[in-house]
Amino acid sequence: MYVYLYDNFLRQRKYDAIMKSIETRLTDFDIAGKIIRIQNFTNAESLIEDEIRHGGKTIVIVGNDSTFGHVLSRAASLQVTFGFIPVGPNNTISEVLGIPNGPEACDVLARRRKVNLDVGWVNNRYFVSRLHVFPADIRVEYDERFAVSSTKKKIELVVCNLQPYTWNNKQGTNYIVHPQDGKLEAFLCPIISQSIFGEKYEDPSIFPFEEMIVTSRKPFLVEADGKQSKETKIKIRLAKNRVDMIVGKERKF
Amino acid sequence: MFPKVQDEYIPEPKHTSPDEVETVVGPSVHVEGDFASEGNIIVKGMVSGNVKTSKLLSVEEGAKIFANVRAGDAIVAGQIKGNIKVDNKLELTESAQVLGDIWCKTFIVAPGALIMGRVSMDGLSIEDDKKAKKIPGLRTRIKEFSEGESEEE
Repeated sequence: MYVYLYDNFLRQRKYDAIMKSIETRLTDFDIAGKIIRIQNFTNAESLIEDEIRHGGKTIVIVGNDSTFGHVLSRAASLQVTFGFIPVGPNNTISEVLGIPNGPEACDVLARRRKVNLDVGWVNNRYFVSRLHVFPADIRVEYDERFAVSSTKKKIELVVCNLQPYTWNNKQGTNYIVHPQDGKLEAFLCPIISQSIFGEKYEDPSIFPFEEMIVTSRKPFLVEADGKQSKETKIKIRLAKNRVDMIVGKERKF
Repeated sequence: MFPKVQDEYIPEPKHTSPDEVETVVGPSVHVEGDFASEGNIIVKGMVSGNVKTSKLLSVEEGAKIFANVRAGDAIVAGQIKGNIKVDNKLELTESAQVLGDIWCKTFIVAPGALIMGRVSMDGLSIEDDKKAKKIPGLRTRIKEFSEGESEEE
């Protein structure tokens, strides 16, 4: 049985037509199912657990990157197949998964091409696309083997899992990070100079890792899948092949 | 309307190396501790600890490594204070400075590179004269001497 988790923003009038055509298409494919509207405060884990108990086999997230992150940050550990129908703006993860925006996503869903995705684990929740530590005076310890710090004070840290880290070096090389490569990639960018025109970053230092501890004397701002919090210590780990996900043919991994 | 499709699991792509992205230590970054990778390593900053890779290690100009280094191949333009063990080719550029012993198969040194240490390379077919001749040890000499004395008696 299919269970569809609709983001609350899809109640807006402008999405009426697109939602109608998606629902018609799902009925055509005979994969229509129960629809649940999720709010910001909805606990996705207990909600999905309940649906699994009632026979739910495939959980389909309908919305954007933030919906995707909101659901999977808690529910990634559950033994169920996940699907995704991207609707509206702010959809970058769907591109990586090879799922087209709108009703065309139903074709991908019906095709049921599945992969096991790696996810990241930070403190007590999962992150699927990326984790961002805003510039701060941090010290990073990798796999309990070596520690990294900067001679310049502040460092920005980006840990990529699903979303590629887009960075062009002086030679014009693009780094593409695959979600299935068995490691997370950390990009450390120390700030070289600060002025009223903004900050100047050094070319990133790159370290593939499986476990990392970020510490600081002062609290630093962390953003994981669009959710921000202030921490003084975070432990980031790789959870291999955690999410069973329906993906498209045009996926970027 | 459409026939139902069975689940199709896509096998994981076979990666030749787990580290497709190179490990890069930036110019203002300081690494402390043993630092190992299965992919290429580029060092532009400072590393205080052993560096180990089965692939290419590139130590760029201005970079400093204060420990032993082990790599498949290496190109050194910075400073290394420690022993270097390279399985294949080691290249020292004009700006390279090495304080330590070197082991490698192929060695390329540019004019201007500075080395203080012993260089050892595999595949040498010339026999060392000192090793070929057996130098009698102190015990054997004493033995010979005592034997000579007893004969005289």
